[in-house]
Amino acid sequence: MKQTLMGNDAIAWGIIHSNIDMISGYPGTPSSEILGNVNKLKHQMNLDLYAEWGTNEKVGFEVAYAGAIAGRRAAATMKQVGLNVASDALMSASYIGNLGAFVLIVADDPGFHSSQTEQDSRVFAKFAKIPVLDPATPQDAYDFVKIAADISETFQTPTMLRPVMRVCHARQIVDIDEKTNFKPGKGEFKREIERWAAVPRGGRIVQGYEQIERIKALKEYNWENLIKPEFEKCKGSKILILTSGTGDGFARETLEDIGIEADVVKFIMPYPLPEKQIREQFKNYEKVLVIEEPMPCIEEQILTEKVHGKLDGTMHVIDEMQKVYIQNALIKLGIYTGADLYPVVPFKEEVAARPPNLCPGCPHRDIYYAITKIFRKKKSIYPSDIGCYTLAVNQGAIDTVLCMGASVSMASGFSIADPDKYVVATIGDSTFFHGGIPPLINAVYQKHRFMLVVLDNSVVAMTGRQKPPQRENKEIDIMKIAEGCGADTYEHIYSNDIQHSLDFFKGMKKIYDEATGPIVVVVREFCVLDKEVVDDHIPLEFAEVVPEDCTACDQCTTIYKCPPMAYNEEGKVEIDPFLCIGCGACFSVVCPTDAFVQDTSRGIIREENK
Amino acid sequence: MRYQIVIAGFGGQGSVFLVKILALCAGNKDVACLGTENHGMSQRGGAVSCTIKLGNYTNPVIDANQADLLIGLERNEALRNVQFLKSTGTLAVNSESDFPASDINAEVISIDAFQKARDKEFPIQGLNVYMLGVVLATCEDFPFNEKEVKEALKQFNPKISTQNIEVLEKAINDIKA
Repeated sequence: MKQTLMGNDAIAWGIIHSNIDMISGYPGTPSSEILGNVNKLKHQMNLDLYAEWGTNEKVGFEVAYAGAIAGRRAAATMKQVGLNVASDALMSASYIGNLGAFVLIVADDPGFHSSQTEQDSRVFAKFAKIPVLDPATPQDAYDFVKIAADISETFQTPTMLRPVMRVCHARQIVDIDEKTNFKPGKGEFKREIERWAAVPRGGRIVQGYEQIERIKALKEYNWENLIKPEFEKCKGSKILILTSGTGDGFARETLEDIGIEADVVKFIMPYPLPEKQIREQFKNYEKVLVIEEPMPCIEEQILTEKVHGKLDGTMHVIDEMQKVYIQNALIKLGIYTGADLYPVVPFKEEVAARPPNLCPGCPHRDIYYAITKIFRKKKSIYPSDIGCYTLAVNQGAIDTVLCMGASVSMASGFSIADPDKYVVATIGDSTFFHGGIPPLINAVYQKHRFMLVVLDNSVVAMTGRQKPPQRENKEIDIMKIAEGCGADTYEHIYSNDIQHSLDFFKGMKKIYDEATGPIVVVVREFCVLDKEVVDDHIPLEFAEVVPEDCTACDQCTTIYKCPPMAYNEEGKVEIDPFLCIGCGACFSVVCPTDAFVQDTSRGIIREENK
Repeated sequence: MRYQIVIAGFGGQGSVFLVKILALCAGNKDVACLGTENHGMSQRGGAVSCTIKLGNYTNPVIDANQADLLIGLERNEALRNVQFLKSTGTLAVNSESDFPASDINAEVISIDAFQKARDKEFPIQGLNVYMLGVVLATCEDFPFNEKEVKEALKQFNPKISTQNIEVLEKAINDIKA
């Protein structure tokens, strides 16, 4: 059955058509839609399976992995930096192995589109000694989930599927199974303490030897089933190109564009590679070029004098794949001598950058505005965290971003290192649950004096509005958690009256001055993209500017930074009516001369259309 | 058939929607397609560029000097992506009348769709579909016709297809007028 699917939809179908019936993980671009899509299909087809988010990647991994130990077919989904969080579990799971099947789906992000690092999870798989499959397209992604589940079950090892963003968020007509005969497994945990309890040293070293043997067996499997058939298709060219994942698609198109014949061998499973058999093939070729991203995972395994790639600088070593890099590599190797087919001729003038911004009407903007007004920049440090609110860097309201939950522990560190400054940390609700709680306990434990502001909009906004714990179960309350950690805790209910937030933080500053440990503020907000609640919060009071009152002082365009506000040709700020959502927050405080007023005509029109 | 399209705009303008519609058009004609979209941090009002490649392709990205068509949902986003267009290609752009067409090495079709939306000729949410209509009416080598696009709009979401088809027809009529 052919369907137009995004890569992450295709992976969801692959999960269901592999009879995987326990899936957990944590959202993160570009992986987020996988679990949500499984859930959607579950409800559409009334399937008996578990597909729910965990509080972080490690938790999600462990929930699903236990299912595999109990004999079920399970999967965990996350982005590449999420694997860093789950890596503790992965390293041990690789020794222990699994019964049913355990497919670890980790989406990489070459080119840093939505990530703070460009790491290669294939290399992580190699480090953890587990097999990894690298799809090139949504069709591959669908097919490879099935192969990964079978490999995992056969070899009793966690098996990784590593799609990159250009697979997850690619769209293609994908051929999937005609019928869904979903057969959920029945879990039965069988006690085997030596195997399942990772206690040093006896049992572990035995499993260590087993792991080495397993990798040897996987290399043989890889050669016989996946690689040898590819070499058999080769036509005896002088040039051999080795690829995996998206590198394969880029390589084939470039060769076609420039009209050069080469043998292209795609590794479905780029680790573990049967290096002996592969090197044996090199005698038939003059040159071997490896095309993969983002790191030299294949290249390091099969390196010989004939091999070119990232290690010798023939291919690019950072950023996303482009065909021009492959063309240039072929020029460097003397294989291609023609014209540059991909000349970059940008528009003659520089085009103004358009970075992402907090949405118009987003409560985060007002809270950051209030924080920086009360805790002045010169006297404060603003550690923050990972989520939509990270975009407040545009307002100059964020100084540091490291990784999930680090705002809290870094606030501790800054309070010790630079004690004369106010330390005001910000974190979102989902990030607080993910990694903010242990460092808060630590701060109370060690009496670190700072203020932590939890921006609670009760949604995982950046990754597609997944529901965080307190949304699904009201018993979970961030206030109670912070109090339970022993922190002095306050609540602030957001309103579009910025003065109200200014007054609140003015009060908090006094409390901060007297404090001896961490203070936690929970700000109750909403997300303007959250359709279930947004209408209760946006009054549809649209803004316009009284041009005579605008003194071009830059306050709104530099400190408040709401996207509809921009200078027009007359040098006055103007509101873009297509962007203003009518939150009404800018009518007070933001403009020193009160130039923002309500555009009453527009509000009425919008109401009629509702 | 082989045809490469870049869709450039900013978050919220519905670039991804156009990729989905064109992918449906391709599916209905049994033409292979491979495209790519922006999600997550790339949204939130920031620059967005999506691609769709029709025909036998193996990677979804479009390199410089390759695209047959660039749909610019906004002036600056069109200029930012103009390097992907080949010299025999077409740029369909939503821009005020001052668009620097003479500096672009390709055929340029420029229309001020923002002004039309401001004049309430069509709702701003339909800007993406409006520009698709402009392409249908002007771009001779565009691989799909009006009927095929309307069919895909209906398939994608029957509830809003009436309004979308009205916007599409309006664009086509505006060009003819």
